[in-house]
Amino acid sequence: MGFMDRLFGWLKAKKKEANILCVGLDNSGKTTIINKLKAPDATQQDVVPTVGFNVEKFVTSSLVFTVIDMSGQGRYRNLWAHYYKETHGIIFVIDSADKIRMLVAKDELDQLLDNQNVKAKRIPILFYANKMDLRDSLSAVQCSQILGLDNLKEKPWNISASNAMTGEGLNEGIQWLSDQLQSVR
Amino acid sequence: MPGMRKDKDEEAGSGNPFAYIERTAVLQEARIFQQTPINPRKCCEILTKIIYLINQGEIITTNEATETFFAMTKLFQSSDVIMRRMCYLTIKEMAKMTENAFIVTQSLTKDMNGREDIFRAAAVRALCAITDSSTLQGIERYMKQAIVDKVHSVASAALVSALHLTKHTNDFVKRWVNEVQESCSSDNVMVQYHALGLLYHLRKKDRLGTSKMVRKFMKSGLKSPFAYCMLIRIASKLLEEEDAGHDSPLYDFIESCLRNKHELVIYEAASAIVNMQNCTARELAPAVSVLQLFLSSPKPSFRYAGVRTLNKVAMKHPSAVTACNLDLENLITDVNRSIATLAITTLLKTGSESSVDRLMKQITSFMSEISDEFKVVVVKAISALCQKYPRKHAVMMNYLSSMLRDEGGFEYKKAIVECIIAILEESPESKESGLSHLCEFIEDCEHTVLATKIIHLLGREGPKTPNPSKYIRFIYNRVILENEAVRAAAVSALARFGAQCDDLLPSILSLLSRSMMDEDDEVRDRATFYYHTLSQKDKPLTSAYILNGLMVSVPALERCLQQYLKEASDEPFNMKSVPLVSIPTNEPKPDEFSSKSEEKPVASRQEIFAEQLSRVPEFAVLGQLFKSSDPVELTESETEYVVRCTKHTFPQHIVLQFDCTNTLNDQILEGVTVQVEPSDGFEVIAYVPCPSLVFNQPGVTYACIAIPDEDPTDVTTTLSCILKFLVKDCDPNTGETDDDGYNDEYVLEDVDITVADHVQKVLKANFGAAWEEVGDENQLEDTYALSTVNTLQDAVKDISKYLGMQACERSDKVPEGKSAHTLFLAGVFRGGHDVLARAKLVLKDGVTMQLTVRSTDIDAAQVITSAVG
Repeated sequence: MGFMDRLFGWLKAKKKEANILCVGLDNSGKTTIINKLKAPDATQQDVVPTVGFNVEKFVTSSLVFTVIDMSGQGRYRNLWAHYYKETHGIIFVIDSADKIRMLVAKDELDQLLDNQNVKAKRIPILFYANKMDLRDSLSAVQCSQILGLDNLKEKPWNISASNAMTGEGLNEGIQWLSDQLQSVR
Repeated sequence: MPGMRKDKDEEAGSGNPFAYIERTAVLQEARIFQQTPINPRKCCEILTKIIYLINQGEIITTNEATETFFAMTKLFQSSDVIMRRMCYLTIKEMAKMTENAFIVTQSLTKDMNGREDIFRAAAVRALCAITDSSTLQGIERYMKQAIVDKVHSVASAALVSALHLTKHTNDFVKRWVNEVQESCSSDNVMVQYHALGLLYHLRKKDRLGTSKMVRKFMKSGLKSPFAYCMLIRIASKLLEEEDAGHDSPLYDFIESCLRNKHELVIYEAASAIVNMQNCTARELAPAVSVLQLFLSSPKPSFRYAGVRTLNKVAMKHPSAVTACNLDLENLITDVNRSIATLAITTLLKTGSESSVDRLMKQITSFMSEISDEFKVVVVKAISALCQKYPRKHAVMMNYLSSMLRDEGGFEYKKAIVECIIAILEESPESKESGLSHLCEFIEDCEHTVLATKIIHLLGREGPKTPNPSKYIRFIYNRVILENEAVRAAAVSALARFGAQCDDLLPSILSLLSRSMMDEDDEVRDRATFYYHTLSQKDKPLTSAYILNGLMVSVPALERCLQQYLKEASDEPFNMKSVPLVSIPTNEPKPDEFSSKSEEKPVASRQEIFAEQLSRVPEFAVLGQLFKSSDPVELTESETEYVVRCTKHTFPQHIVLQFDCTNTLNDQILEGVTVQVEPSDGFEVIAYVPCPSLVFNQPGVTYACIAIPDEDPTDVTTTLSCILKFLVKDCDPNTGETDDDGYNDEYVLEDVDITVADHVQKVLKANFGAAWEEVGDENQLEDTYALSTVNTLQDAVKDISKYLGMQACERSDKVPEGKSAHTLFLAGVFRGGHDVLARAKLVLKDGVTMQLTVRSTDIDAAQVITSAVG
């Protein structure tokens, strides 16, 4: 990683940059979360199902995040794999109110973790149990049980319940992710 | 791209900086797209290389393309302006190579709606390139917005992209018509032009809508000169389709554009008027005078446009251009050689006979400086000149032969050869010199097509010259020196000499016997065949197999033979059952003669008819289609229903094919038939109705008539026709019909069955031999006074038309100033009987004709003779 070191040395003066991949099933709220995390003046008014991917940037106190927001629709999910290689962290968004498709989410997660490029690296994974405001939504603990996160030993992970509409719970997750990313280097 | 440009300039001295790049290396380099942070300058260079490779036709496999494409998508992280725009270009280029191009849809949509104006237009174009009908729905809203965008470049990009999208998703784009219309009133020149273009494209199938649109803009006027040009083009197309006279408002509009303040519009209008069909001299005059002004323009592009258009006008209306002669003379010395060439060739067409020599000298002085394309223009001008001034043939022949010796490409040489052939067919005096020039040319000719063509011509014309033996040397030289195709043609040509010149026969036989050892199959086969045919010394045999060849169409013969093999009957194959081709191919392969290629569509048209008719079960028993006539209009063109009739002749029947079109958009016709009332012994045996006739969609109905067999000479009749149908009213917009309709009929013009319908034209290359071959067994002779015609040329035209036979040996052209002429006609009568006619015409107070008809069948001869009386 000589090149990377030099690069970050050069960047020292500025804030560090991090590439993050945001995945999850369709209608789980990925684009809305990213939208909320951006500076208030850059937010989009309407959110439509993403086709392909979206690149967004936002700044936290310690890091500059470049997030690749992938489309979650069934036929586009196999495209996620193209972006695993260069990512420094993954945000996996779960629709905690969609109990029926929880297993589909688990399946996608397993495939993700099984990928060569993800397996080899110790990259932090942040889970958002989104839509916590809905009445019949599962709690973060229930979600982690269904997804079998207890078995995930080799990577740092964190799950936080969130509400992307109001932004509740988002910052806690991002804070954890920033800490992880900074401690790795 | 300042950085890139500098690099290029530095290397400009050493040629193309990308000359030695390699696909695998470049794709390897493309890996740096994945590194963070992105180095925009380096990435731009690699993107340039990729685009360069794609445009060089390098094949990039789907896997490689997908990998590179995904790597490239990572560049969207950076907002470097130059690199982003390079990305758009690359996306457009790679869109068709990878299946996953849609991955960038969201990113492009974001860019096209973003704040950076510099990205937006390019993003629209890239987005449309990766969109197909399934994903179009998602971006429809944005496209509509972009079309009416305030930023001109974005609106233009959206309009043009929409035009591209219409290729596969026409209906979708049609929904955007309101937005397109709105941007038609934009005050930006380009947006208005593009909007008009798209609007026309969406409506071009709907003639009424188009003309409404044109009228609207004619009234309101347009800002953009480009849009004006487009409007002129649409208007002139409409004029052509409507076939409206020159008092139409459309014409007035085009005419008024001649006074527009933009030169571009003026030129477009002038060129539209000039290109109009059946344009009279009076209408041409204003257009020509505008073009004349262009001739003295200081801008070379306008001079070029003016002279080029005038050159075209001069072909049809030389007299109209004469007024510009003085200006054209000035352009002869123009520094731009293209302008000078066109000026001279125009003058050649318009000038008088006396100035020809001077002009020719002038043009040969810089012939070597102009490109092949213009040389062809010059040759065509010379060719036109030769037709006009037959006395100049000798002079022109000299120029042509010296041009033939100069350097030049295939098109140029071909034009010269065709011109020489045209001259020597026109005038017998220059035949000898023309043939010897051509002989000289094939001595050193690298174009196989031209060599075979000339050899074929020598074979046809050579034997008739006073001294045929001198051509044999030239032809035989080809047998020794050239490739297979030329050798085969040369062998055939030699055989023709042998068949027609008895004193040369022994030498020809010995030459042919040498070719019987040739290494090429075709040459060997031909030589063997000709050697044995000629050594029989049997005149009718040589006439049938060497001089006149097969008269059937080759694809039809192939089909008939396949059919014959399938049925495996004991009877021998009947050659007469094969459909004839109107102009036969004498030599099977390489000797395609240019005039035949023009006749080709006719033959294939008959093939199409045969195919169509064989699909109608009622007509399956009728046998092979013998002949199809040209369509005849049975209605005036402006009526409610348009019907045209094509007559198909079968061995014992005639099928009338009626092509009907319903021009009323509020009616649907059902059960359409044409009732035919024959007279005499003719009998209608079947009708095939057309189930329904929708607005503007042609339908076909048939009637089948049996030809009486009691009297084989009774073959002509007149049939009265009535169109019968059930009318149902319908809503012109939705196409919904009322349930009940009423019967109605419509009287059509009569159809004549003439002798010509029973005769198929064939071209006998050697009429004399064919005449002897048929013999005088069934010969009829009679003398007629043709009172209605006054000149021999008219008489020749009428006779060929009545008899429906082909004039042979170019006897359809009457030399000027002669009072007697002999016309040779050849044809095949229904049933496959050869018919030959010789008409000796004398001009003396009207035309007197002695008609001699020979045929293999006495009835056929009688029918032909009776046709004239």
